[in-house]
Amino acid sequence: MSKFSGKAFTVARHEFLKTVKRKEFLFMTFIFPVFLAGITLVPALLAGMTPSEDQSVGYVDITGSFDFPEEVTDGGFAVGPFGEKSSTIEFVRYEDNPEASRALRAGEISSYLLIPEGFLETGVIELYVSEKGVTVPRANLAADLSDIVVTSLLQDEVDEAVLVRVKDPVNIKMFDIGEGGEANEQGVADILGDLGLPFLTAFLLFFSIFSASGFLLRGVSEEKENRVIEVLLSSATPTELLTGKVLGLGAVGLLQIVVWISAVALGASYALPLSLDPFLLFLAVVYFLFGYLFFASLMAAVGAMTSSLQESQQVAGIFTFAAAAPLVFMQLLLTKPDSLLAISLSLFPITSPVAMLVRIGATEVPFYQIAASLFILMISIHGVIIFSSRLFRAYLLMYGKRPALREILRNMREG
Amino acid sequence: MHVVEVEGVSKSFGGTDVISDISFSVEKGEIFGLLGPNGAGKTTLIRMLLDIIRPDSGEIRVFGASLDPAGKDRIGYLPEERGLYRKTKLVDMLVYLAQLKNVSRKQARENAESLLRSLGLYEHRGKRVEELSKGMQQKIQFLSSIIHYPDLVVLDEPFSGLDPVSTKTVKDRIIEYRNAGKTVILSTHIMEQAQTLCDRILVVDRGRRVLYGSVEEIRKERGKNSLLVEFAGYGSGHGSEYGSGLDAGFGTGLGTGLGTGLGTGLGTGLNVGSGAGAGSGGDALSVLRGIPGVRRIVEHEEEHKKFVEIFPEDGTGTQAILEELVRRVEVLRFEQALPSLNEIFIETVEANANE
Repeated sequence: MSKFSGKAFTVARHEFLKTVKRKEFLFMTFIFPVFLAGITLVPALLAGMTPSEDQSVGYVDITGSFDFPEEVTDGGFAVGPFGEKSSTIEFVRYEDNPEASRALRAGEISSYLLIPEGFLETGVIELYVSEKGVTVPRANLAADLSDIVVTSLLQDEVDEAVLVRVKDPVNIKMFDIGEGGEANEQGVADILGDLGLPFLTAFLLFFSIFSASGFLLRGVSEEKENRVIEVLLSSATPTELLTGKVLGLGAVGLLQIVVWISAVALGASYALPLSLDPFLLFLAVVYFLFGYLFFASLMAAVGAMTSSLQESQQVAGIFTFAAAAPLVFMQLLLTKPDSLLAISLSLFPITSPVAMLVRIGATEVPFYQIAASLFILMISIHGVIIFSSRLFRAYLLMYGKRPALREILRNMREG
Repeated sequence: MHVVEVEGVSKSFGGTDVISDISFSVEKGEIFGLLGPNGAGKTTLIRMLLDIIRPDSGEIRVFGASLDPAGKDRIGYLPEERGLYRKTKLVDMLVYLAQLKNVSRKQARENAESLLRSLGLYEHRGKRVEELSKGMQQKIQFLSSIIHYPDLVVLDEPFSGLDPVSTKTVKDRIIEYRNAGKTVILSTHIMEQAQTLCDRILVVDRGRRVLYGSVEEIRKERGKNSLLVEFAGYGSGHGSEYGSGLDAGFGTGLGTGLGTGLGTGLGTGLNVGSGAGAGSGGDALSVLRGIPGVRRIVEHEEEHKKFVEIFPEDGTGTQAILEELVRRVEVLRFEQALPSLNEIFIETVEANANE
């Protein structure tokens, strides 16, 4: 991309305005975050709004050795600012199975438990529910019951402290050891911030790079398909067209990622006690720009070489798949961010933008590695742009069969 | 001044010569026809003129120098493969295309609106291209090539897909443009249009230059030196007695220069002996018998009007024949027959193919 001319600017502005007005863009930029937020927040909201599920549960204790409390109350778990909901189970005692069964059919209780004779040997407790209007047994009913069983069996045998430990044996607390050796306790929010946010940022980065370079691919293929390209080429040079398109659509992508990241930042501060590291945000933008330039130039060459949108998307799919590799290796990147594979992924130009961002979130990445990955990316961008603009010029006006690999290589050399 | 100069240009694609050693020049203020059968290399030649593709060898100068960005802004181009942004509003698209020619946005908008008005498309300015009829799209395409009032317009098959009314509109525009001192390069394979519109032509066949020069000169050069004569008492309502008709007419075919400047008429060959005048029967025609220096007389009929084509012997003056005719009949029309560009074109291309 040599000199920046007025025509490149005209092309850039046209591409920017045209794309920003597209329905797909508006949808992806503004509706998609809302949609994402919806997926995460709606269940919590629903949980917050449904009335607490108080139930009456009957029981028949054939062994006669258990001591059921009148009721148990559980603190529910809810994400975000919607508060906790508690629900209560009331236990009703019945003498035998037929009596409990009648009560169930009469709707006095939602279900009943039967503790059979051989419970101590088998550990089996039977739960009976009504055939119609199936009541879903609460997830923590088993936990409640096991508390009751433990209490009944051990109450008079062991100390109160031992009883509590048997009910709730282990709790793990996590600590960071900092540079100076000081230990910091990690809460849930920190873990989410360390693992969830890098994932989210990387995911959004991947999406915005590909939606912007996808627009470029579409634009080039469409102009080739509807033959406008010949008129454009009679007015501007291929380099001006390429520069203008890359810049205009880069601005579109930048706008999109800014909207998304603001949405994440806003949503995060609202739903979770988190703050985003400004340095991470800055790097996200830098990696967006570099990653975009790299892929956009690739896509431009692909768009120029193929003769229809459909064909171009097939070829471009290969690159998209390669670039999605870091998302596939996400678990490895998060858990072993310093492994050789993770480091390679964060240096290799096709995968580096996404992989490096994940690693930065997951670990302290040495500065030289960040610098190296940016440097490698820059060199690759330079190379890709040179080859792309040569191919762009050579193939824009060719229709028909897809060029052979050898011919493509020859055109790359000759320009 | 030469607007375009092409010297010894060649181009090959994948080992096949598409253009070989072509030279020509286009002068300011003329309509220059670039003619040739399909696949002759016209479009490649045009693309090289516009610096969309580069020649393998040879030199191309536009506006006196090799084409620079400023030069590109002075050219308008209507490609053969038509294409417009389908989903963009007419005005927006025209403004964008004009801006790419370095016309200011304000000026571009003014040009677009006045041109749309002049072609009667102003009411459609807010529509998207895909909402327009095909004919309208063609007009818009033409309009987009002159949106920046270029000094040189290159039109590749401008009339294809146009109805007669639109064809006339575009034709008038082209002539208007030339009369305003601008230069037009017109590529077409419709020879009637080339003959009426073009000042000079270049005929390309299989990448080679086969004819080049002014339309008048070429026609005179290729003329059979025959004369078309119409006279009173011959013609209307008088059926031919020689078993005239299609067979005879086409039998004599192109080789005898049957066509005239007016187009191809039906004719009957009348082979007469050298210097013998007209041969058999025909009351009216008999008066032409015995004109000295006439080799052959051929009868023609065009829209129920009959006329004869007289082929003088070499060395016989046109003037002498006219004098002789005036003595015998009342001459209504007397003109030198020139072959149509169409005939010359077919003849040249066929001859080229037989080589």
